[in-house]
Amino acid sequence: MRRILLLRGAELIVFALLGTIPLLVVNPYALGLLTLLAIYGILLIGLDVTVGYLGQVNLGHVAFLGLGAYAAGLAVTRFGLGMVPALAAALVVGLLLGALLALPALRLEGPQFALATLSFAALSTTALNELESLTGGAQGLSLERPPLFGHAITPAIFYWLCMILLALVWMVMRNLLSSQWGRAFEALRDSPIATDAMGVGTYYHKVAAFSLGSGLGGLAGGLYAFNFQYLQPQSFVYELMIILLLGVVLGGRKSLWGAFVGATVVVLLPNLLSNRLLFHLFSGAGFAVALVSGLRGLLKKTTRPFQAFAPVVAMGILAIGGFFVENTEDWRKGIFALMLFSVVVGLPEGVMGFLAIFLAKLFRMPPSALPEPSDLDVVLPPRAQGDGPMLVLADLRRHFGGVKAVDGLSMQVRAGTIHGLIGPNGSGKSTVVNVISGLYTATSGGMSLRGAELPQGSLNRVARAGVARTFQNLQLFSELTAIENVMVALKGVYKMPLPLVLLGFARLEERRAQADALALLDLIGLKDQARTKAKDLTYGAQRFLEIARALARKPDLLILDEPAAGLAHPDVIQQIEIIKRVHARGVTIILIEHHMDVVSELCDQVTVLDGGKVIAEGAPDVVKRHPKVIEAYLGTASGPAPADGAEPLPA
Amino acid sequence: MNALIIGQMAVSGALMGLVYALIAYGFQLTYATSKSINFGQGELVMVSAFFSLTLTNLGAPYWLMVPGGLLFGALLGLIVERAGVRLALEQKSEGWILLSIIIGLFFFSAAENIWGRDDRPFPTPISADPINIFGVDVTRLELSVAVGVLAIMGLVELFKRRTLLGKAFEAVSADRDAAELMGISATRTVMLSYGLSGAVAALAGILVSPITTVGPTMASALILKAFSVAVVAGLDSGFGVVVIGMALGALESLASFYLGSGWREAPGLTLLILALAVRPTGVFGKAAIRKV
Repeated sequence: MRRILLLRGAELIVFALLGTIPLLVVNPYALGLLTLLAIYGILLIGLDVTVGYLGQVNLGHVAFLGLGAYAAGLAVTRFGLGMVPALAAALVVGLLLGALLALPALRLEGPQFALATLSFAALSTTALNELESLTGGAQGLSLERPPLFGHAITPAIFYWLCMILLALVWMVMRNLLSSQWGRAFEALRDSPIATDAMGVGTYYHKVAAFSLGSGLGGLAGGLYAFNFQYLQPQSFVYELMIILLLGVVLGGRKSLWGAFVGATVVVLLPNLLSNRLLFHLFSGAGFAVALVSGLRGLLKKTTRPFQAFAPVVAMGILAIGGFFVENTEDWRKGIFALMLFSVVVGLPEGVMGFLAIFLAKLFRMPPSALPEPSDLDVVLPPRAQGDGPMLVLADLRRHFGGVKAVDGLSMQVRAGTIHGLIGPNGSGKSTVVNVISGLYTATSGGMSLRGAELPQGSLNRVARAGVARTFQNLQLFSELTAIENVMVALKGVYKMPLPLVLLGFARLEERRAQADALALLDLIGLKDQARTKAKDLTYGAQRFLEIARALARKPDLLILDEPAAGLAHPDVIQQIEIIKRVHARGVTIILIEHHMDVVSELCDQVTVLDGGKVIAEGAPDVVKRHPKVIEAYLGTASGPAPADGAEPLPA
Repeated sequence: MNALIIGQMAVSGALMGLVYALIAYGFQLTYATSKSINFGQGELVMVSAFFSLTLTNLGAPYWLMVPGGLLFGALLGLIVERAGVRLALEQKSEGWILLSIIIGLFFFSAAENIWGRDDRPFPTPISADPINIFGVDVTRLELSVAVGVLAIMGLVELFKRRTLLGKAFEAVSADRDAAELMGISATRTVMLSYGLSGAVAALAGILVSPITTVGPTMASALILKAFSVAVVAGLDSGFGVVVIGMALGALESLASFYLGSGWREAPGLTLLILALAVRPTGVFGKAAIRKV
């Protein structure tokens, strides 16, 4: 509670101060800078959505600034619209074009994504330049501020307008990013596959996030147009993009305050370059900070030598070079480069990332208390033990080129049982799991869940049909805490439509989500580590957490892909306990496992695969003594056994 | 007559396209070993061209200037690797995208201040007189670009296939961890790939400068098209970049003829975004099977 008060209080004070400035200060230059601060603040909050939350390098944001600016400019000059509709047009242009670019570009990751956005930016500059009849081309576009609700707009009123919009954007984004949406954005950065497998549409969320960020870019562009009242395609180029990235990284990613700090830096940079004394002071201070923190890092052995020295060298060049260069303005790109380099290498968390740790220590703010766990009967209602089959696979095949990984597999999983799937390495178990869960499309064959056909080739749709899975190679959302990992996957809790989420009503659902997630953590014995980041949990705890997360889907069928792989003996025993507890809730389980003792203890029925075919099926004890199984695992003394019919023996 | 003009435009465009192919090949070299590419590669092309121009102005003959320029390019490539890529790769982060952009920006600023902002001619002993082949005019200069590009790509491919060092290169490309276990230093191999990539960029600069002149912004358009070529062709097919590079060169030459010179860049960029939408691994790239 104290934490919330402090945070909200700080926000309120800053905005109140910023709001009263025009009453106290009449210096038009300072007012101009503050107006720009608000505009760049909105712009950087938008950029932070892709760069911070999605974790992608976005080189196209500057294009949305330009497109939004031209949209607002044209709305006023060509269509005679007022200021509010013009700003709305800028926002909508950003949203739509953002979605249009995101649809193809977000199928990509990393460098390809950066390239696609870079190309989009270049293409939009070309279009603005060449569509002369519309935009005026390189000549530029002049416009006047239309009156707002009948009032002429003075610089002070325009400043207030920008600040109010910044405050609104701030609130809306805080609401969104602290809700399930924000968690989903972060989850899909850590593991897109798991996000899909948890029924949270990866692609959909990515496109929404990118489109939203671009929309904010467009809105900032609209304000930009009314601020400068003159637009040129040349204003929205690569160099500005670099400065914006500098702002986001220097301020601190994934932080509204970071965007604010970044915007301040972006606004002040030109002054830094034009005032020599200021430049010497700043570069000297930067050098000192780099030197001290570098040495500290080296002594404490928290940073590597390169990370400690490189910023010192870069800031050193900046500080010393400042005395030799005739005109700093000539070297502006080089100066940006050196500053950005020092920040990216030496202070990757940005100013706010650094301050957040410091402030948290200063005020000792404990995170708000978690609610009591919900009743497990609500979170994971016990299932009736039906008699019919839960899952039926009919002549399932999956070939990779000439490799028949799954070659005509038919099997039935009865509802309410634990069905083991075993076989030597390379027998096709993992492929079967990947086909059922929708990662692969079957080459041929049918799959049905409780009599209904199971969707193919889409993790997300299979998850929504009621199948949940864990991953042999852990796919946790490593930067999220244990409880957040479960909360991302929770089914049936988040019902609030997006507009209400933006207004902050998602908070009503958060308590319930936390309580539900906590109940599942309690089930696997991790209740006390709810606030620990997944990457900091022990290996065993990570394996348990995978199960809790899958259970958050309230699945009818749970597929456990080698849940005991790599576990130490005590953890194996606990894992068996957990699986028994889950089974007691009536969840049907498919268990892929190498530990025969685990299989024997847990499974009602076992199917043995070899070479993509079923070689035996039955109760664990029967299967263990089956000659073909023994042969598959151990081989025979006299070479391959004589062929005696390829059909699997009935159990 | 019209067909002849189209043919003429297509051929000279395709020959320019080989320069895009060469720069794109530079991306492939580093992508193979480290799954990273230098976003500041255009600045390497430009700075190396300026350096070679200075060598020529100092009186170095052509046969000495070319290796000098290549060595300088390799050196720049090594700087990018050390300062921008290595740390980020060790941390398995994508910081290298940002860092390589930043280092390129610094090179750009340095070039602006050392050599000035104006475009300058690049002297060459190769004549610019056209030769008529099947009714299409081609200059010796354009032919020299084609020969140079194909020759260095051939040499690098031979190096990769025939020498021990080259095989180490291929091994790291195929499986970095396994190569390390076999006693191959992945770090050194990545350095080698960045050095080679820098040299390739320098050659692109030397080949293209006599045609386009040398200036700080000479590579900003080139590099975008090289990106397009690399992505459309796929980041692992040397043959692919040559084909796509020539096709793109021809296409944009025709586009600037029919739509106006301002639209020159449009086909490449549109093609890039489309290719990404339809086939993210590139036309000649291999689709990887997702594994979990």
